Amino acid sequence: MTLSMQHAMQERKKARAPKVLAWFAQRKTRRSIISVLVIVAAWELVGRFVLTNPLFFAPLSAVVEAGIRLWQSGELQKDIIASFSAVAYGMILAIVAGIIIGVLSGASRAFREYTDSFFTALYATPLVAVAPILILWFGIGIASKIAVVFLMAVFPILISTAAGISNTEPTFIEVARSFGATRLQIIRKVMIPAAVPFVITGIRLAIGRAIVGVVVGELFGARAGLGFLIFTSGQTFDVPALFLGVLLLALAGVVLTGAMKWIEARVAGWRHVEMD
Amino acid sequence: MPAPDRSVDELSVQHIGKEFATRGATIRVLDDVTFSVARGEFFVIVGPSGCGKSTLLRIIQGLEPASDGVIMLAGRPIGGPSADRGFVFQQDSLYPWRTVLQNVVLGLEIMGKTGTAATERAMSLIELVGLKGFEKHYPRELSGGMRQRVNLARALAIDPEMLLMDEPFAALDALTRETMQQELLRIAAAASKTVLFITHQIDEAVLLADRVMVMSARPGRVLETIPIELPRPRSLAVKRSQEFQALVDRIWNLVSETEQV
Repeated sequence: MTLSMQHAMQERKKARAPKVLAWFAQRKTRRSIISVLVIVAAWELVGRFVLTNPLFFAPLSAVVEAGIRLWQSGELQKDIIASFSAVAYGMILAIVAGIIIGVLSGASRAFREYTDSFFTALYATPLVAVAPILILWFGIGIASKIAVVFLMAVFPILISTAAGISNTEPTFIEVARSFGATRLQIIRKVMIPAAVPFVITGIRLAIGRAIVGVVVGELFGARAGLGFLIFTSGQTFDVPALFLGVLLLALAGVVLTGAMKWIEARVAGWRHVEMD
Repeated sequence: MPAPDRSVDELSVQHIGKEFATRGATIRVLDDVTFSVARGEFFVIVGPSGCGKSTLLRIIQGLEPASDGVIMLAGRPIGGPSADRGFVFQQDSLYPWRTVLQNVVLGLEIMGKTGTAATERAMSLIELVGLKGFEKHYPRELSGGMRQRVNLARALAIDPEMLLMDEPFAALDALTRETMQQELLRIAAAASKTVLFITHQIDEAVLLADRVMVMSARPGRVLETIPIELPRPRSLAVKRSQEFQALVDRIWNLVSETEQV
């Protein structure tokens, strides 16, 4: 290598220096890909050579085969749509109700004092335990799943929103007061924007619980859904299909949480950067 | 700069007292505070920390009630906060989720004034405080001095008769503080506002003020009000004059005496 070539390479490195962030992101991507590949290989090898009893485990290739089989029969799409719609409707209801009640609870001391212990108790209760009764009330269709998802998702959103509202920087409220703001203006212009990052954190926590909720709801009684797929596959010892259901749920969790992070960076970017 | 018209009282503070009740005991923080500020005057209050000067300013703004006394602004007793007083906070009080422009327009927005006129008003103040071109920036992208400029523009946007400033430069480094003092003199003159300014820095008080009021340690009382007859405009060079030093020494003696009590 000639000296001038070395020099040229150094120059190129210098030019790249401002792109350190992009490079870092690339390394992160590379590591994620490597970890996925390792897991995939390990899964396949364990399925083929270690846990060979098809009643206990299935190699990844068998899971993929089951996926293709169920997709061709149209069952898989039905299950995915059933679970996804229940999560979507339940989450929308939970977000709307959670934010409204959370704002009330954060902004009104009386409301908070009447309801606080009640909400905390419900948040701590494993609400999946009430899934059977919800199925009795709402039937084995989507309504009961929406109800379970709602109950699982609403409390983290509500509690987190209320915390965001009541933890608004007192100086920010003083500023609005110094301009003669009414209570309603303080809530709208100060407390709610200040609470946005908390609301998003609440929604992120709620997503995981919503997925648990829909699966449990489907286990107790359903006509379709990924939980239903897992349940019926377990009953018929179709282990590859069972793993397929679990895998898809895990993927859904990753995708939805990633989507929330994307939204968070856009809506509450001001806070994100400040914390760095 | 037109000389302040001393014949008109803008603000008249009469026998203000303030008590806080804490765990059974009553603490008296302000005792019979009486003074008045003329229209267009730059009035500075100094005192040891804990003398209740910030509380006094909050009472004048209407953020807190007084225990006794009356405050008149342009001949009318004050109630709560209103558009005739603009408050500049000590802390970093800009809303981090709003841009510079959105922060400056906040007061107008709360008063129900929105639209082009409000935006134009805000833009002209951003220009006045020297931040033209930074309208779309977020507070986190600004330095401490720039944030306090936005803070000032926000208070001025509602076009108050009076500016109340609570140690606005206390958190700035020495160099930025000196620049901001000069800028404040320029801006207050350009906007022709009456200013009530609180500080614990004596040289800052002498540099800025038409009159300096010295308060005692708790309970805060008026010790003395000293006219500062240094010529304007005042540059930093004035700080080296004997007259300036004599005034600083005189105030320093008053403050240190009360602190030892």
